[in-house]
Amino acid sequence: MKEQTKFRRFLKKLYKYRVYLLMLAPAVIYTLVFAYYPMTGVVMAFKKYNYQGGIWGSPWNGIENFKFFFKSGQAALVIRNTVLYNILFIVVGTATQIAVAVFLTEIRNKRFRKVSQSMMFLPYFISWVIVGVMAFNIFSSDYGFINRILVSMGFEKFAFYKEPAAWPFILLFFNIWKGVVYGSVMYMAAIMGVDTSIYEAAAIDGANVFQRIFKVTIPSIMPTVIILFLMSIGGIFKGNFDMFYNLVGSNGLLYNATDVIDTLAFRALISSNDFGMSAAIGLFQSVLCFITVLLANKLVSLYDKDYTLF
Amino acid sequence: MKKRMKKLVSLLLATAMTTGVLTACGGSASNTDVDLKATTDEYVELKMYLLGDRTPDFDEVYGKINEILKEKLNCTISVDFLSWGEHDTKYSLLFSSEEEFDLIFTASSWGHYEQTVALGGFQPLSEEFIQTFAPDIWDVVPAMAWDQAKINGNIYMVPNYQNEFGQDVIAARSDIMEKVGITQITNWEELKAFYLACAENGIYASQGGPWYQYFQNEGLTTTGGAPKGGELVLFNTQDASDLDFYYLLDWPGFTDYCKQMKELADAGCWSPDVLSSTDERQTGLLTGKTAGMIWNLGSCKNFAKQANAENPDWNVTLCDPVASQPKKVNSYINNGVAININSEHKERAMMVLNEFYTNPEVFDLAMLGIEGKHWEAVGDDQYKVIDESNFGVDSNCNWGWTNCEIKRTEYIEDRTALDDTHDAMIDTWNNNVKAEHPYDSFNFDSTAVSTQFAAVEAAIGTYYDPLVSGLVDDVDASIEELRAALESAGIRDVIAEMEKQAAEHVKNK
Repeated sequence: MKEQTKFRRFLKKLYKYRVYLLMLAPAVIYTLVFAYYPMTGVVMAFKKYNYQGGIWGSPWNGIENFKFFFKSGQAALVIRNTVLYNILFIVVGTATQIAVAVFLTEIRNKRFRKVSQSMMFLPYFISWVIVGVMAFNIFSSDYGFINRILVSMGFEKFAFYKEPAAWPFILLFFNIWKGVVYGSVMYMAAIMGVDTSIYEAAAIDGANVFQRIFKVTIPSIMPTVIILFLMSIGGIFKGNFDMFYNLVGSNGLLYNATDVIDTLAFRALISSNDFGMSAAIGLFQSVLCFITVLLANKLVSLYDKDYTLF
Repeated sequence: MKKRMKKLVSLLLATAMTTGVLTACGGSASNTDVDLKATTDEYVELKMYLLGDRTPDFDEVYGKINEILKEKLNCTISVDFLSWGEHDTKYSLLFSSEEEFDLIFTASSWGHYEQTVALGGFQPLSEEFIQTFAPDIWDVVPAMAWDQAKINGNIYMVPNYQNEFGQDVIAARSDIMEKVGITQITNWEELKAFYLACAENGIYASQGGPWYQYFQNEGLTTTGGAPKGGELVLFNTQDASDLDFYYLLDWPGFTDYCKQMKELADAGCWSPDVLSSTDERQTGLLTGKTAGMIWNLGSCKNFAKQANAENPDWNVTLCDPVASQPKKVNSYINNGVAININSEHKERAMMVLNEFYTNPEVFDLAMLGIEGKHWEAVGDDQYKVIDESNFGVDSNCNWGWTNCEIKRTEYIEDRTALDDTHDAMIDTWNNNVKAEHPYDSFNFDSTAVSTQFAAVEAAIGTYYDPLVSGLVDDVDASIEELRAALESAGIRDVIAEMEKQAAEHVKNK
């Protein structure tokens, strides 16, 4: 009896909030269709996939699909590379994005600000394939821009494509170059949201530009920084395949410094088209990312509960 | 309130998952039965997938083909293309997404034949089925070709029928050969001398090391379905009694080759960036960056012709760097057509294929285009090109049904020395075809050792390509690292499985 009244109350509320619920519906449906429904496909990671059986009819395969990754002997190396590159990209990326956001907002001339922001946005629209070709023309030994300059100045050529140690820097550079302004948009929005009266108060107290930035702007956007940081931690075990594949290609000489989980899986499975093993690698990465996000979120909550994602 | 929301959400999730299960079950009913008494009473529209890009006049030409098919078989065919750039990834998606189509181009290794068979994508073709619906194909295709197409005793494709030589040659610039005092390139020593002489004269010889020429000079060739595109395990194709597999790291030749390559790479025979370069194979020769290009005979001739037209003083010629060895005819399953296992009209598809394969009218249309518009006949068995730009000669992925008994050859008006060299080479080769080796038709099926196979493919990249291009600092150390990596990845399991399958293959012959 009690259940029924509860249910009735639920229906009543449903009716009462119908307009809000209707507005919410597209987002819920979108998430269900494009995020939750495809997730059922993870069963493929545990199946010996064949075309006739499809996703559901293929025979089960236990954890067989995960084995190749660890058997390859490269697992530790590529996991290390993936995580280190992502940490590097997140740390340096966040720092440069905040710096760009601060600089751009500090520019008083509106037209100059708009123009420079648009110009810095351009690299974001260049595909990694093109970036790969550009990099080759900069770094190649025969016709590369840098080596041409070195030779004309009387120095020895430097073989970038044989020297793994150079690549963390090259990859970092292109990653930052391509994404910095896109990433800074969020921070700019956060800076715009800071109460101007605080700046006025700081100015009256005699704060200079640097004090204004470090004592007012940055502490004010800290919540945004932490939320974006947590979001990017969610992808820490996923390598940016486009970038690594197009810049490095199949150059085995550089793999020790540039091979990430995604490129290794690509090489291992492209000739056999094994859907099960590909799904297994994807699931493996996702589970690790999920654990990392939970941990990071927990750590942040120890610092300040208001900054957490959930 | 909170609790109830949770319930609601879980209910929604459960619904979504169940729907997923239901829809997926409905779609995957497959039917491998065929009806040997099928007739052409009912009009059907068939669909075929080819590789490459649609040429401007393609639809017009296939319109003509459809007129013939409509009249003879009461059906028409529409064609979709998987472009060169995307077929590696999209080919398997056609099957996994259960796309509706009937015929598809396939080829051993480069055209996804073995992988698709392993995943159950193609209809097995019984002899009775072929004889009933494609009697003319059955008459013309040699028994050896059907044997090659067999995987675990079943035929899954109609192989093409032509003697295509799998031998790569080198297109080399005569002006540079003269300058460095080299008159011919017919064996390994001369090839190496040419490479070194180019380097001394400040020009790259080619875009990488001549790996295939090295092991071909030793009589070896790649094994179908073996890791790294067949290169990791070789066999002696010139000696039919030699049934051993030559696993590279147990074969002293590999070390020897890698050491020679280091010598050549250090001397500057090719760019130190070859591994990262995205240049096409012909770029080096055409732009003058390299003095030579190694590729198959047809491509070498075409690009040599182009290079000569653009730079008359180069005088690019063709040389066979493994002249002493009898020549291997490409396996007939290097091109072919298969029927989709989910096709609703397998019988009609086979009849259509019969027309493409053996009806000269349809065959000429698919290969050359419309007579009078794209080409004109010279006698009964030759053709002359009128307009190559809108359809192209033999370039619309019509290779799956190539039939040398009715295929026209080109009539060349202004012959050059290059054409003579080319024809002379073909004549020599035709008189020097190697004997059949039982492994020529062997194709390794890696399903039983898929874990080890994938691990080997993952482990090999770090060392193998740098080694065969001579770009490592210490050859011996790199070879040892490669050996250790492959052993722990399980190469022995792969080889054991290969030997087992090969023994069965020989027994079944």
